[in-house]
Amino acid sequence: MISALHNYFVFLKRCGRVALIGDWRYYAWMGALTVVCLFGLNAYAKQLVNGLIITGMSDEVSWGVYIANFTFLVGVAAAAVMMVIPVYIYDNKELHDLVIFGELLAVAAIIMCLAFVTVDLGRPDRFWHLIPGIGQMNFPSSMLSWDVLVLNGYLILNVHICGYLLYSKYQNKSPAKWFYIPFVFLAIAWAVSIHTVTAFLYVGLGGRPFWNASIVGPRFLASAFTAGPAIIILALQIIRKFTTYTVTNKAILTLRSIVQVSMIINVFLLACEVFKEFYSGTTHSASAKYLFIGLHGHYALVPWIWTAITFNLIAMGILVLPVSRSLRWLDVACVLSIVGIWIEKGMGLVIPGFIPTPLGAIVDYAPTLNETLVCLGIWAFGLLCYTIFLRMSVPILQGRLSKLNEGLPEVQSNDSTGKSLI
Amino acid sequence: MEKSGSSDGRKSGALTNYWLSGLTVGFLGLAIFFVISSNKKSVSQPNIALVDKKFLETTPWRQTYADLVKAKEDLSDYDCYGCHDKAKPPLIRFDSNQKLIIPKEHANIQMAHGAHERNNLCYNCHNEQNLLTLQVRDERNIKFDNIPQLCGSCHGPTYRDWDAGAHGRTSGYWDRSLGNSTRLSCANCHNPHAPHIPTREPAPGPHSLHQDTTHHERAEALH
Amino acid sequence: MNSSPSYTDKASDAAMSRRSFLRGCAAFGGVSALAASLAPLRELGDYTNTEQFLQKYYKELTPSDMTKVIARIEGEVERQYGIRPHVRDLKPMDGVEFVYALNLTRCIGCRKCVHACVKENNQSGSPEIQYIRVLKMPHGSMDVEKGNHNYDDKQVPEKGFFYMPIQCQQCKNPPCVKVCPVNATWQEKDGITVIDYDWCIGCRYCEAACPYWARRFNFTKPDIPKERLNPDMAYLGNRPRKQGVMEKCHFCIQRTRVGKYPACLEVCPVGARKFGNILDPESEISYILREKRVFIQLKEEMGTSPRFFYYFDK
Repeated sequence: MISALHNYFVFLKRCGRVALIGDWRYYAWMGALTVVCLFGLNAYAKQLVNGLIITGMSDEVSWGVYIANFTFLVGVAAAAVMMVIPVYIYDNKELHDLVIFGELLAVAAIIMCLAFVTVDLGRPDRFWHLIPGIGQMNFPSSMLSWDVLVLNGYLILNVHICGYLLYSKYQNKSPAKWFYIPFVFLAIAWAVSIHTVTAFLYVGLGGRPFWNASIVGPRFLASAFTAGPAIIILALQIIRKFTTYTVTNKAILTLRSIVQVSMIINVFLLACEVFKEFYSGTTHSASAKYLFIGLHGHYALVPWIWTAITFNLIAMGILVLPVSRSLRWLDVACVLSIVGIWIEKGMGLVIPGFIPTPLGAIVDYAPTLNETLVCLGIWAFGLLCYTIFLRMSVPILQGRLSKLNEGLPEVQSNDSTGKSLI
Repeated sequence: MEKSGSSDGRKSGALTNYWLSGLTVGFLGLAIFFVISSNKKSVSQPNIALVDKKFLETTPWRQTYADLVKAKEDLSDYDCYGCHDKAKPPLIRFDSNQKLIIPKEHANIQMAHGAHERNNLCYNCHNEQNLLTLQVRDERNIKFDNIPQLCGSCHGPTYRDWDAGAHGRTSGYWDRSLGNSTRLSCANCHNPHAPHIPTREPAPGPHSLHQDTTHHERAEALH
Repeated sequence: MNSSPSYTDKASDAAMSRRSFLRGCAAFGGVSALAASLAPLRELGDYTNTEQFLQKYYKELTPSDMTKVIARIEGEVERQYGIRPHVRDLKPMDGVEFVYALNLTRCIGCRKCVHACVKENNQSGSPEIQYIRVLKMPHGSMDVEKGNHNYDDKQVPEKGFFYMPIQCQQCKNPPCVKVCPVNATWQEKDGITVIDYDWCIGCRYCEAACPYWARRFNFTKPDIPKERLNPDMAYLGNRPRKQGVMEKCHFCIQRTRVGKYPACLEVCPVGARKFGNILDPESEISYILREKRVFIQLKEEMGTSPRFFYYFDK
């Protein structure tokens, strides 16, 4: 038992060493991310002292970019694990290791989600009120209580799967199927549930007709499965460029088909929403009017949503054409999808739900500098985490960081051509 | 191959050293920046004036004659027989358009009771035989401290609502077992000669947290 | 490799130790920047203390716990405002269910109710928190989108409009209670939906859920003018709130649970507001609900079943 713990400690120490040691490009990247993180932390400290008044939120628009980013990232986390399906259900061995990169992205995304929710709380010191048993969790009535449970459960699930697979590889042992396969299947179902529960946060509010629609749940999933794999496509190419890990084009093209189909569904669902809101002309479409065409002289979100729709349509166009098999075009489509969906789910979902207020007032929302710094800080922290995860997992998967070479001089950071080995 | 490799490695190594030194300097500079900026007060509150105390007053708009009596105020203005003769009921004059002429001694009274000036006859309410009382059509005399009976003789539904507590303010205790409630008399709100409630100045509107919403927003036409 | 291995080894050893030293420097710089970024927290002050942090949920407080909590609150208010308040934990009365009715024929839109409520319930002046919002509505419609919140007429009422004050409707089926993740808000026996200000985590989900925009959030430390502080307080009512928690109309719980009318009704100059116990058939509120013909519950289709009825006399 003691020796098992000692071995694990050595493993962690070596992983930590690998995370802190690299070449100048690594330090430049991590240094820049750290600086942004620290600006975010400083901005959050100011927010703790002064209260949420230093954000752009008000009683009229009481959720803003924090919850918008949270919503987007829950989708990314859910989608990251959906890559798992082709591997385990279609028994695609080539994608096997990539599953780990997807799940690590899910872990980083969930950490960001939890951070975004925490910075949005008025009294984060009272977080313990949410812990079932110790606090007062309003389960099953409150969707937020469901969200707390499923998000933390998802985090633990993914940390277990990745941690177990990586540690087994490190120990040069074959992982015991019963210790991770059931969890993988659980994670697939759980991935759908985290995003559905997050959608239900909005759908369950009868007083907000913009959200109280059955299309919100399916739309969430469709946009998540577009943006999530798109991020992974870009991440895999970065891994290919900066490490010696082999990423086959087949893997990327499999992901491309997921993005392709999901984007088509996402655009179709958008068309459904627009028809429903504008054809019947009821007063319930006030929020949709504000978003798409402006309301009573307020047009703030109109350019944003049309930019998002344009990006999505162009991305869909590129994706359905065979030209997107070429990585350069695929990258363009991915970037357009990610930005388009980020706008759609952030400003295009959260803000219009509050405008006009249930009493018909229109008060605009714009994030303040402090709010933006906190968001950037959390994004930087997420990227920091993901970089560290990749930096540990790539050598392990390649077999270069393994129990077999414990005690030998540490892994070389660059090969003879200067390419980073880690 | 190895030579160029090691020279590349050395160049990269030197760059890494420069970056690490740069990062150290950068972080320390950032630390100083944070400490200095935390000393500045960054957030100021908008200065919203306290609302005028008059908007917090619960006293009724008018005092009735009965209130004045109770408060032992100066009643010299209300001494009818100081001018009028007990034996002679005062004469009411109308002009050529059948409009009531208000005598100059009572110039402060504006007659506007009822639409089309239907109720502009003093003796519909005042008792010409005894100016210290009021009268109802069935010739009951009403004292000045029992006005609702008079008003209710024409305004039945309103009187019944008032009697049940549904017209006019009831203040004090809703739970009568724990305390008293106060009802107001009709004349506490309505001027008996011109009962229509006049318009007045409203209290200031709301201030939104970030925006200046004090500009006038027009309600949209039916859409 | 070069011909003299020992020279290369020494050089690369020196290079490695220089690298490690620089890495250590960068790490030290990073840690100092991290500590400095938290510098604003020096101003945190009385954000919380151990006693407040560990305070139990309202429904789990024993009477002796409550005594301690009340003593703490009274001490805090005295320290901050120089006035010792009287804080009570008022329980709902038996056989009482509160209902509010508002006569839209009578309301003149003077907004005195808004400000009387602010004073009675110790609401923040700047930034402004007001539980009641008066809408100026055009004749012919109950669509609140047509309402004007910011009317600044010189004289009210204006012909062709009616005025509709809106506050928490104390719904029978409250969406805010349904969504609160920590049960910080719940409905009591007498119909009032209350908030435990010391339990609320400030997630603002209830604010998003309310169809009547009745709930308010403390975006910063509330600023109650000392000269307008109301020292007659209740734990679930008008005791001063903290930064980061929700608040809303609670039917002046410190008044109504001792049998008095709420402050908004007391100040209304035209008697448009009617309040009482619907379970008492003799109350004026029962009379109104029996006799008056036209009733409007705002957004009835929401299924919230509000305890607030709007009606017209004519």
